[in-house]
Amino acid sequence: MATNSGSDKGTRNLVIIMVSFIVAIGVIFSIVSNRSNSTAQVPAAVSESEGYGIVLNASATPKVDIYVDYQCPICRSFEIINGGYINEIIAQNKAKVVFHPMTFIGPESILAANAAACAADENKFLDMNLALFQDQSATENSGKWQGDALLKLGKAVGLDSGKFEKCVKDGTYVKWTGNVAAASAAANVNGTPTVFVNGKELDRKTEYGDPAKFKAALAAGGVK
Amino acid sequence: MGDKFNRFQPWLTLLARVVLGGTLLAAGALKVGNLQKSAMAVRAYELLPVSLANFIGYTLPWIEIGVGLLLILGVATKTVAVIGAINMLVFIIAIAQAWARGLSIDCGCFGGGGSVDPEDTKYLSEIIRDLGLFALGIYLYLYPKGRFALDK
Repeated sequence: MATNSGSDKGTRNLVIIMVSFIVAIGVIFSIVSNRSNSTAQVPAAVSESEGYGIVLNASATPKVDIYVDYQCPICRSFEIINGGYINEIIAQNKAKVVFHPMTFIGPESILAANAAACAADENKFLDMNLALFQDQSATENSGKWQGDALLKLGKAVGLDSGKFEKCVKDGTYVKWTGNVAAASAAANVNGTPTVFVNGKELDRKTEYGDPAKFKAALAAGGVK
Repeated sequence: MGDKFNRFQPWLTLLARVVLGGTLLAAGALKVGNLQKSAMAVRAYELLPVSLANFIGYTLPWIEIGVGLLLILGVATKTVAVIGAINMLVFIIAIAQAWARGLSIDCGCFGGGGSVDPEDTKYLSEIIRDLGLFALGIYLYLYPKGRFALDK
């Protein structure tokens, strides 16, 4: 009788130790893996001080930060509605625009963000950005961007160098996407799309879906 | 009446452990696969400083898994029932304040979370569900001994 309850207590304590161990390892792993990795390779156009975002027109003002996830349907609408205007102000050097490709929807977001970063290295970020949204799957995490899909997409915008292919296949910038995610978390970005003009966040309810209101919001921030 | 309850109580406790423990285990398991989203969900409540919100987002799923496992196995039931009840109480308060302040968020209780369209908020059903789970936690604190528990 005494040994019986002794071994029961032993089992019970062992379970507590094992579960606590699993939880502790999990917690430590999660905190460490969601930090920025300073050894991560980053595209040339990336600035660590701009949340590891891809910077276009580094010396222009004002600054526009754009947070999107390539699998996010509302981001696709946003690109269709406002993408033309955004590309215009970039081409005319009217603003410094920093793109932050987020990857919280799923693994294919990471693949897409990596491909966009590879395109940035060849000065075709905006083309690839648009192409990704146009090629967005009707359902999230559908598998559409696995395999060669992103290489084909790159080819369609003129990216057919071995360099681009290697970058996509090797996942050269996958670690960088983790840095963007960590910076976005610290910047308190909780949904996509999210746009800041000189640090001021646009109104999610009204200013993303209406092109006139979007232009006005940018103008109010100093974009002429 | 008291006699009948005494007969069924060990089974009710088992049921409560499985329901509360199973829910917590599922909630944690669904979140550990996407900790970015988990952190976004906590930040969206706009209750905590960002770095604390992120810390909770990354670690809460593991704690839910641990507490869920211990409840299902019937180990340290009184203690983990209190932890589970506190977990539910915190969520109820967080959801209620989001509702009162007019935030449009998903509670993020089972993965997901962050901003949603105002017509997609489900605050009342989320609060009712969490009240039920809170009640289970209290019940287990009062009647921790039940069938098929590792604790004797």
